[in-house]
Amino acid sequence: MFKSIRQLHRENQWTAFEAEALPHLSALFRLAMWLVRERAEAEDLVQDTFTQALQSFHRYEKGTNCRAWLIRVMFHINSNRRRASARLQIINETDERIAETVAFDPPTPQGLTEEEVLRALRSLPRPFEEVVLLSDIEDMTYKEIADTLGVPIGTVMSRLHRGRKLMRAELSNYANSRGIGHKTGEPSASSAGK
Amino acid sequence: MQCREFREVADSYLSDELLVETNHDMIAHLEGCAECRRELAARRELRTALRASFDKAEELQIRDQFADRVRRELRDAAMIKATPISRRRVWVAIAACLLVAAAVALSVVWQRQRAQTPGQIAGGNRPEPNVAQVKPTDIQPHLAPTAGDADMVLAKMSELAAGDHRDCAINHRLPQSPIDLEEAGHKYDQAFLNLKNAVRSHLTDSNAEIELVGAHACIFKGRWFAHIVLRHRGRLASLLVTRLDHAEGSPAQAKSTEVDQHGQIIACATASGYQISCLRTARHAIFVVSDLAEGENLALARGLAPSVYKHIKSAEDITLVQRLNHARKVDYLDFIAFTRRSSLETISYAGGGNGRRGVRSQHRRTNQRLE
Repeated sequence: MFKSIRQLHRENQWTAFEAEALPHLSALFRLAMWLVRERAEAEDLVQDTFTQALQSFHRYEKGTNCRAWLIRVMFHINSNRRRASARLQIINETDERIAETVAFDPPTPQGLTEEEVLRALRSLPRPFEEVVLLSDIEDMTYKEIADTLGVPIGTVMSRLHRGRKLMRAELSNYANSRGIGHKTGEPSASSAGK
Repeated sequence: MQCREFREVADSYLSDELLVETNHDMIAHLEGCAECRRELAARRELRTALRASFDKAEELQIRDQFADRVRRELRDAAMIKATPISRRRVWVAIAACLLVAAAVALSVVWQRQRAQTPGQIAGGNRPEPNVAQVKPTDIQPHLAPTAGDADMVLAKMSELAAGDHRDCAINHRLPQSPIDLEEAGHKYDQAFLNLKNAVRSHLTDSNAEIELVGAHACIFKGRWFAHIVLRHRGRLASLLVTRLDHAEGSPAQAKSTEVDQHGQIIACATASGYQISCLRTARHAIFVVSDLAEGENLALARGLAPSVYKHIKSAEDITLVQRLNHARKVDYLDFIAFTRRSSLETISYAGGGNGRRGVRSQHRRTNQRLE
């Protein structure tokens, strides 16, 4: 049986998509689940993301970070949905001010549970949560994050700095409440101000 | 580098987002600062813990069923591409194909019916009254003009032109001998005058391989033709011009034809085995008849058409002006004669002692007549 050129092209495209994009299905779902918090909604978001990605796969540049490309597609779809449902979250000035007023940058505590780490991440205001998530968990570069969120790279850097600072403060609270901290004790004021 | 600076950029160092020089500074600071080494290790550990806990969090894991379903649906979508839009496009394409096929089939059937129906000539749906003497297959126009009555006239004339070419130019068996073209021009149709010269000058100008064999006026089935016999590629061809009578060349028809054609060949036909290309002016039909191939005959006619059309048209215009002048002249002479008569009457009135009133009344009558 002869295959048409179109059919061969489809098969080749599917093979490439299957090899490049589908391995990130689970990771994309975790990210979607973290962002929307409801399983059904996350499944819809992931399905739409991969359907859109399949249709637009010719735009994906081979050799680049496919996971970052998929995440960008997903954030785009998600932001459209949020806008459509009038639940657009804008940067809360109060959150920004809180991040600015965290004067003391505590040392990073150790010996924390996984639950506490995730809770600290969840406690961050959404804009900071997103950049920390994309940088520290998804291991995306600043530029990829800027492209995904549609913000300047400087904004990404400042949000990351403040977000991590807030997160360390939150984790420090957990550590203090449980009586744990640095394995070698708190850093001295002199070392902090070096 | 100070510890404060180190901690500011420690995360960027872990993300490998720093410049090479800054990296060197960081490494140099790390070598001499145990506290910062611990802080950097703690941040790296936090990052690892964050990633691990995120990856392992049960509530974030994908269900196998959903993963399988997504893979399956994506594969189907990729291989079939049966989106609603594409299906709609396919149906539109099929409908368009069917429509075109139906139109072509109807056209073929219609053309066959026209060809098989005696008495119906191209361009007209009305039966042709004089076609009884023509074999149904004799005339097969294949470039159907659209100007109703005018086209019927041309179709009728085509058969006569073919007959004249056959009986006069080829077989020389016309019942009446041809006469000189100029003589016929003076006697019957002024458009015949200088027609030979017009054709000859065209042949000279165009350097075409066409030989002018002869020119005369002949009568075929009661119709006068200006007949110029040509030889092209070893075959005889006839340029035939005939005047249309009032019914054949009504002003309405002539007007539309003039506007539409401007000396272009408007129809081609096959009659009695001859190729015929024809055009017309307001009062004349012009034919080129030969047994050349269809394309050759058409090319010959196209070459001759502009100059012949121009000649006939100018002759028609001159004739029209002459007629008008003649009509005016008649009116003028009539008026002079009438005025003379009026003057005589006036004189007679004047002699009768009531001349002024008589002149007035005659002037009034003259004015009424002029009006």
